[in-house]
Amino acid sequence: MEFKLEAHRIVSISLGKIYNSRVQRGGIKLHKNLLVSLVLRSARQVYLSDPCPGLYPWAGGFFFFPTGGPWRPPPQQQPGELAAGPPAGWGEPPRPPPTEPQSELSAVSEAPRVGDAVPAATVTGVGDVPQGGEADAAEAAWSRVEGPCQAAAGEAEGPAGGWAVFPLGSRAARRPCGCPLGGKDPPGTPAATPRSACCCAPRPAEDEPPAPPAVCPRKRGAAGVGGGPASCPAPSSTPLKKPRRNLEQPSSGGEDDDAEEMETGNVANLISIFGSSFSGLLRKSPGGGREEEEGGESGPEAAEPGQICCDKPVLRDMNPWSTAIVAF
Amino acid sequence: MTSSSRATGIGRHFEKGKKSLPGAGGGGCPAGGNDFQWCFSQVKGAIDEDVAEADIISTVEFNYSGDLLATGDKGGRVVIFQREQENKSRPHSRGEYNVYSTFQSHEPEFDYLKSLEIEEKINKIRWLPQQNAAHFLLSTNDKTIKLWKISERDKRAEGYNLKDEDGRLRDPFRITALRVPILKPMDLMVEASPRRIFANAHTYHINSISVNSDHETYLSADDLRINLWHLEITDRSFNIVDIKPANMEELTEVITAAEFHPHQCNVFVYSSSKGTIRLCDMRSSALCDRHSKFFEEPEDPSSRSFFSEIISSISDVKFSHSGRYMMSRDYLSVKVWDLNMESRPLETHQVHEYLRSKLCSLYENDCIFDKFECCWNGSDSAIMTGSYNNFFRMFDRDTRRDVTLEASRESSKPRASLKPRKVCTGGKRKKDEISVDSLDFNKKILHTAWHPADSVIAVAATNNLYIFQDKIN
Repeated sequence: MEFKLEAHRIVSISLGKIYNSRVQRGGIKLHKNLLVSLVLRSARQVYLSDPCPGLYPWAGGFFFFPTGGPWRPPPQQQPGELAAGPPAGWGEPPRPPPTEPQSELSAVSEAPRVGDAVPAATVTGVGDVPQGGEADAAEAAWSRVEGPCQAAAGEAEGPAGGWAVFPLGSRAARRPCGCPLGGKDPPGTPAATPRSACCCAPRPAEDEPPAPPAVCPRKRGAAGVGGGPASCPAPSSTPLKKPRRNLEQPSSGGEDDDAEEMETGNVANLISIFGSSFSGLLRKSPGGGREEEEGGESGPEAAEPGQICCDKPVLRDMNPWSTAIVAF
Repeated sequence: MTSSSRATGIGRHFEKGKKSLPGAGGGGCPAGGNDFQWCFSQVKGAIDEDVAEADIISTVEFNYSGDLLATGDKGGRVVIFQREQENKSRPHSRGEYNVYSTFQSHEPEFDYLKSLEIEEKINKIRWLPQQNAAHFLLSTNDKTIKLWKISERDKRAEGYNLKDEDGRLRDPFRITALRVPILKPMDLMVEASPRRIFANAHTYHINSISVNSDHETYLSADDLRINLWHLEITDRSFNIVDIKPANMEELTEVITAAEFHPHQCNVFVYSSSKGTIRLCDMRSSALCDRHSKFFEEPEDPSSRSFFSEIISSISDVKFSHSGRYMMSRDYLSVKVWDLNMESRPLETHQVHEYLRSKLCSLYENDCIFDKFECCWNGSDSAIMTGSYNNFFRMFDRDTRRDVTLEASRESSKPRASLKPRKVCTGGKRKKDEISVDSLDFNKKILHTAWHPADSVIAVAATNNLYIFQDKIN
């Protein structure tokens, strides 16, 4: 059990580092990120192999998993919870957990980061095209790095279960967890502390949600901070997306439907990613990777308001991660 | 000499030969068997607590004679210190290092094509052997290598016919007589000028440069490739190692350091993030992807942890002066290898084994990614490397003794001896020991250099450069 917690913590910290590396001066350091991804893999292996059931007392509603194996969505709960979760989770602004100010702070802090550190990357990403072999390879390398983010995000929620404690409900109430990335930390605090291990964790009242809804915002968090247009922009989670969103229509209610559909699709794909080997975690290209992962989401993705005004295929395939990749 | 009575076996004959150098570092004390007694000599750099990031020293290197000591910092500047002439009548008197030249080597750049900022931090400086009155060095940041010429000007011509002393042109009609200009002494001026700029050859971040023993070529290594340059040619280089996989998904290791053999101009080594060292011979093929020798120590399965891969990543590799051995530094240890034995290192020295139980915290605060360098003394009998809390470690290969010293302002009185430090790992802390938890991980010594012949060391502690000398009895 301790190993699982430790592994989880290490996963979160690692994702935080990968995220932060994107905005570090001097560009992405291949060596460091390779090492971090190796740690991520080790932690993931330990996580998966630990036979303890996913029982986390600090999760508001206990969320049991029969095994520590591949994540399976609790069959009945999902729709039920989506439909009629505990009142606390619905229609109510999420209670301010310790992490929320953190996410606000990091949302704020990300904005200046966007402004200075990788501004061109974000901006050019919109219409950017891989610059050739090097860029593709670099892109692939960085999609490799990105992969674990998302997969681990899913993983973190999946088998972990307990920390897939997410506020459900209105879009306004929904917050991206973003916790595995630790991207919510202000820059300069690479060591994501336990609070970033799961910002959902300390929200006892908002139990359940199940991983599926959790997956979505978190995935978006991951995608939002590190990934892009393919994810559903949650309002405060993805300041990085703001520049793009300014170009596009502001995301609207369509997001909810997208979210739910995306969640289910996400889960299945995350399982398949998760069950695969390390290299399988890493996709050749962000575009291809994301499409595979979100295989079931092409509908909602296409319907995303964010996609409408911009070159759809480009945006689908590009995201801040890959723009950074291409930039690199 | 000390080594004559030591049963170190391998390499003794080399070390004997080396010991003929005057004032040679290793065991050079006439009273054989005495350890070094390191004393504070000088400290360079500002004292205030608030350290500007640009002032953090990122590389330290003596030149071939040891008279010049170059440092590079994160702000892209190079500062060269020159040793004052020693008093010839007192061969053991210490020559002080004073600032000789300061110049801005690299500026921050922006790669518009990739939308990436390129840091100006100087990653490495390597001196060229001196061939004339001027000094040449190579300095590199992440992407561009520059060859700098540092020359002195201590004379100027006076008595021109066509212009005044202040440079104004004289009216030719006013000239009634001709004279021959004469050279007059002037205040010494040291000028640094960039003679070559080797750019656009590296996609990834340059981590090493190494001048070849042929004095005509050098190599530069980034994460995935090593290029061979000719010092005169800037518009092209040969790629001699390329470990980039066709499918980047399969990337498992990167190049972390590379160096040419000190005597064999066709041989170089490069280390990887997986803890392996490959020795390549450029005569075997144009692209040295297949190594000639492969050095790896099998991992001890009992010490496996999440961070095993990180701590096995080699941060520095250095040939001995003799060329018979090489040394590799990973996170917790430094290993000496015999080039003729690939299966395991000759010696393994623990630098700070007490950190093994703290790897998770060190991972969190990023310290586990610190890249420590290591260096040999002139006679290859001792090695030195840095640690945390401004500690640095020296290992005497002959006596098998090691010592931990500290570079601190407190022990910075002129010619004050450095007291050996000890880190306490167990429960009971003795007086003068420091416990592992009290170590300051922000004070790290990553860069050290040893004078090629004398017992003088330079230790970079963040923004300060400490110079220590051995007090020979």
